[in-house]
Amino acid sequence: MLLANKHKLEPSKKRSETQWHQAVQRLLKNKLAVISIGFLVFILLFSFVGPFLSPYNSNDVEVALIKNPPSLAHILGTDDYGRDVLLRLMLAGRISLTIGITSMILSLILGTILGAVSGYYGGVIDNIIMRIADILMSIPGLPLLIIVGALLSELKVSSDYRLYIVMLMLSLVGWPGLARLIRGQVLSLREQTFMKAADVLGLSDRRKIFNHLIPNTFPLLIVVATLSTASGILSESTLSFLGLGVIPPTPSWGNMINAANNLIDFQKRAWLWIPPGMAIFITVVAINLLGDALRDALDPKMKGR
Amino acid sequence: MKKYILRRFIHMIPTLIGVSVIIFYLFALMPGDYIDSNRQITAQRAHDLRVLYGLDKPIIMRYFIWVKNAMEGNFGFSLKYLESVTKLINQYIWNSFIIAIVTLALTWSIALVIGVYTATKQHSLFDRLVTLGVFASLSFPSFFLGLLMIKFFGVDLKILPLGGMIDTGSTSTGLSYVLEVIRHMILPVGILTFLSIGSLTRYFRSGMIDALKLDFIRTARAKGLKERTIVFKHALKNAILPAITLLAFELPGLFSGAIITEQIFNWPGIGRLQLEALSFRDYPVLMTFTMLLSFLTIMGNFFADVLYAVADPRIRLK
Amino acid sequence: MKKRFISAIILSVSAVMLLSSCGTKVASNQNVKASKVSSIGDQYIKATDPSKSPDKAKQRTDTFVAAISEPGGVFLPYFYDNGWDGNATDPIFASLVGQDPKGNPIPDLAKSWNISSDNLTYTYHLRQGLKFSDGSPLTADDVAFTLTILDDPAYSGYLDISTSFIKGSEAYKDGKADSIEGIKVVDPLTIKITTEKVNPLNLTILGGQVLSKAYYGKDYKRGSLDYLKALYATPLGAGPYKIDKYIPGQEVRYTANDNYYAGKPKIENLIYKVTSKDTNLQLFQTGETDEDGFTTDKDTVDELESFGFANVRISTVSDYGYIYFNNKKSYLKDKSVRQALIYGLDRQKIIDVKYKGYGQVANIPTSPLVWSYNEDGINKYKFDQSKAKKLLDAAGWKVGSDGIREKNGQKLRLSYLTTKSTDEIIPIAKEDYKAIGVDFEPEIMDFNTLVGKLNKGDYDLASVRTNGLVDPNDSVEEFSSKKTSENVSGYSDPVADKLISEGVSTVDIKKRKVIYQKLYKELTDNPPVILIDYRKSVKAWNSRIKGLDNNNFSGVSSTNLSKLKIEN
Repeated sequence: MLLANKHKLEPSKKRSETQWHQAVQRLLKNKLAVISIGFLVFILLFSFVGPFLSPYNSNDVEVALIKNPPSLAHILGTDDYGRDVLLRLMLAGRISLTIGITSMILSLILGTILGAVSGYYGGVIDNIIMRIADILMSIPGLPLLIIVGALLSELKVSSDYRLYIVMLMLSLVGWPGLARLIRGQVLSLREQTFMKAADVLGLSDRRKIFNHLIPNTFPLLIVVATLSTASGILSESTLSFLGLGVIPPTPSWGNMINAANNLIDFQKRAWLWIPPGMAIFITVVAINLLGDALRDALDPKMKGR
Repeated sequence: MKKYILRRFIHMIPTLIGVSVIIFYLFALMPGDYIDSNRQITAQRAHDLRVLYGLDKPIIMRYFIWVKNAMEGNFGFSLKYLESVTKLINQYIWNSFIIAIVTLALTWSIALVIGVYTATKQHSLFDRLVTLGVFASLSFPSFFLGLLMIKFFGVDLKILPLGGMIDTGSTSTGLSYVLEVIRHMILPVGILTFLSIGSLTRYFRSGMIDALKLDFIRTARAKGLKERTIVFKHALKNAILPAITLLAFELPGLFSGAIITEQIFNWPGIGRLQLEALSFRDYPVLMTFTMLLSFLTIMGNFFADVLYAVADPRIRLK
Repeated sequence: MKKRFISAIILSVSAVMLLSSCGTKVASNQNVKASKVSSIGDQYIKATDPSKSPDKAKQRTDTFVAAISEPGGVFLPYFYDNGWDGNATDPIFASLVGQDPKGNPIPDLAKSWNISSDNLTYTYHLRQGLKFSDGSPLTADDVAFTLTILDDPAYSGYLDISTSFIKGSEAYKDGKADSIEGIKVVDPLTIKITTEKVNPLNLTILGGQVLSKAYYGKDYKRGSLDYLKALYATPLGAGPYKIDKYIPGQEVRYTANDNYYAGKPKIENLIYKVTSKDTNLQLFQTGETDEDGFTTDKDTVDELESFGFANVRISTVSDYGYIYFNNKKSYLKDKSVRQALIYGLDRQKIIDVKYKGYGQVANIPTSPLVWSYNEDGINKYKFDQSKAKKLLDAAGWKVGSDGIREKNGQKLRLSYLTTKSTDEIIPIAKEDYKAIGVDFEPEIMDFNTLVGKLNKGDYDLASVRTNGLVDPNDSVEEFSSKKTSENVSGYSDPVADKLISEGVSTVDIKKRKVIYQKLYKELTDNPPVILIDYRKSVKAWNSRIKGLDNNNFSGVSSTNLSKLKIEN
């Protein structure tokens, strides 16, 4: 009797709360997740706090020290202006991490929602969204960026902010690819038995899409997340050719790698490109591990039965 | 189904028209025009040239002139190369195509095998190494790999050519010509394949892992079906939907040229032409080429939609 | 599982390290860096061991493979739009007047010429028995045809013949006359051209490459030049080589012209092979090419030297880099502000970082290779921040609370346009100008956008480079306020205006030298631009090719091609 009183049934919390709560717990128990979060935290600290610990200035142009190999004074050597590579690596992380992760999240959200909505409703809604997707996919990127660059220049937007505006714009124009992938999945998932069950239960459309369909696309989303983080980081350096990336002398992992893009530097001066390449590599690995861990954590609850 | 196909096909027409308008305006609005690239000429001369090329007319007029000409099959003359756009593009686009299609075939076959294998042996050392290898290929730009391979195979080992499509001064024809081109294709195709395999492997692997977790696979195993049949006949079909979407994306890619690879290997493809046309504002070339790619994009998505219904009979397209 | 994962990471990291060190040559002199990077003079490194020539090259006993970047296939002088087509047509088309190693005119198709005492009439005397490569004769009629077609109203090519002021050209263009009055065919070997204004460059402009009237003029009617398009790919000329085959994006192939007036070239085949900066060193190393131009840095020069079979020439390029002032802006109209901006910029540092010894600060608005180059009495604007600050203070620009100077409520904020994302000027100028209180805002954009903005005057500073300079007028022309279309910077200085027109009003080099010396002084005292750099280029060729001289202006060109020979 006492036990029964003690364990009175609590009023039902929202189903999602208990699910997430359990998921987080499982996540923390997952060794992989802990490692990946550890990686990410390390990289974030490295980039945002690290520079304060360096005795050097990111803009010290020292002609005599140009392209020196690693030494006690400069642990990772110096670059083509004689600046300390380690310091620039850390500062570059600020930009590259922000860009890579933000652009990934933005395009992920847009693409997933639009793709899921399109696949679920079909008909006119699907038609309109997909035709817009067709048009956006057909618009050539470079000319668009050149125009945007000119526009930003006309509006006298400071060069420091241009990168963020461009990234935002690219996410707004770049959702069609992911949307089509998600839509394809949803077209198939929509017909599976667990969705029929959801119908019978009388769940709202919103519930069905966000709580059932989208979570089942997680494996796909994780692959896209890791791929787009890496490409987001590297695409920043392509943007800089059009003046839409970071402006020198601000470093980014992408433009640090590009500075060594000739055979001679590549062979003889590995300290110029291995550090930024490794930084991107570690970031991508961390995001993937986290994604995998997240997927495993949410798995038993979400998979349609 | 047939109604759906017909309707979809008809919808492509306004889409194409819409795209052509947007693209035309896009190019016309780019700052600086073709005449600006020559800094030496006088203002009078610049004006005369603009009139000569029809660049002084308002944009909407220029658009309709372009449409009228396009309807007659006349896609204009390149401002820079002074040659018919179709002839110009034809000279280079097939070179890009052969590289792209061989790469596509190789990439998809290898990625499929690796993706499926790592999905079945998830968490094994092989799986882990492949995963890391994929991420490494994503983190370092293609440039490096190209240069390294050229040095290794071309200069040090001397077994593969350093670039170009044919040997210097070669006059071979027929079969020996074909073999020569193939020899020259090995490095660029190899590198492009290596770079594209990464992402594709991830998609296949993820799709297979999901498919293998499904109920009916458990049933099939319980029934005692051979693992190979389970994997290739049953699971694969379920993992195919994202693959269809991705394959559709590849269609325009077959004709768009790999800019960096073509540059490193001096491969006479359409990539460089594109970049040049863009920086010199060679409008006729830009319009024609971009419209070609958008046509392929839209067609690709159309085929993908039709194939969804074929691959998964449960899908009802409205 | 965790262990396996970590070992996998260690494995892959080591693999990456191994891969990159594969073939790493330990550069023993890596740390020997001069504390001061000195500029290197012109150098000529002779091949130390010609026997090291790669087999591929040795096997080519009758073919010379030179390099080209991006030919466009328009093989018709005056009509192509791509500089590389100029290189490609050079072996095919000979000119009346050629150039010697110093850039002075020498006879080519014309054996001699006369210029009237008023410098307005040019008479060229052609050699006897000149033939095009198909055997047809080359006479004064062909020269007349070439010059006439340049004045055709439909001509849209790069050569603006109106600068030669040929008598009667306007009338022809407007359709009022059926031929150009000033062009007179005296006899098949003599042509006389009358101009209406002195232009010291006319000798070479009027004496340029000759087009065959029979071949290119067959269907010629004034006002329609479209028919020429069909002939772009099949050129006919009187140069040392004739075209054999064009493979787009790959090669241009030539064979020796039996009918060349100076005798059939000794090397039977010539190939211009398309190369790119990324791999041209490897192509040269393996013998795919016999000659090329390379990235100018010490690594490359060392590599070339190590091959043993290469003759390497490091020489100054006849151009210079500079930054436009937008002289129309109120805050840049003041001479002392502009001078301060030059004093306040450490140009030597920019050169050091950009060229690492293969460049030099520019102080004169012409290249060191042009005969008017003269440093006497020129202010070199040595880097001096305190001087810059003083000038700005005196001009009324006081440092504000945010460190930026202001005057009458306006901040000294300068926008800087460039096309290079790795422009070395940006990091250095940013710091240097910050130190003297000027806010420097760089903007990177593509070339056409930059030109568009230049023409509109929407900039404060813009980074550009001149074309190849031959005559002193080439670079200073745009500083004359009378040349409204060339003068994008809005610079206006009446003294300079006068000297610039004087410079082209006479043909006497001695007189011109004096004029230009005065002009340079004026232009450095009242600077229209910030002069930045002269640079060096690296050219190398396989020593088996004999006859490629060690000089600046020829290299591979039609006047020396016929004299080359191969000695393996």
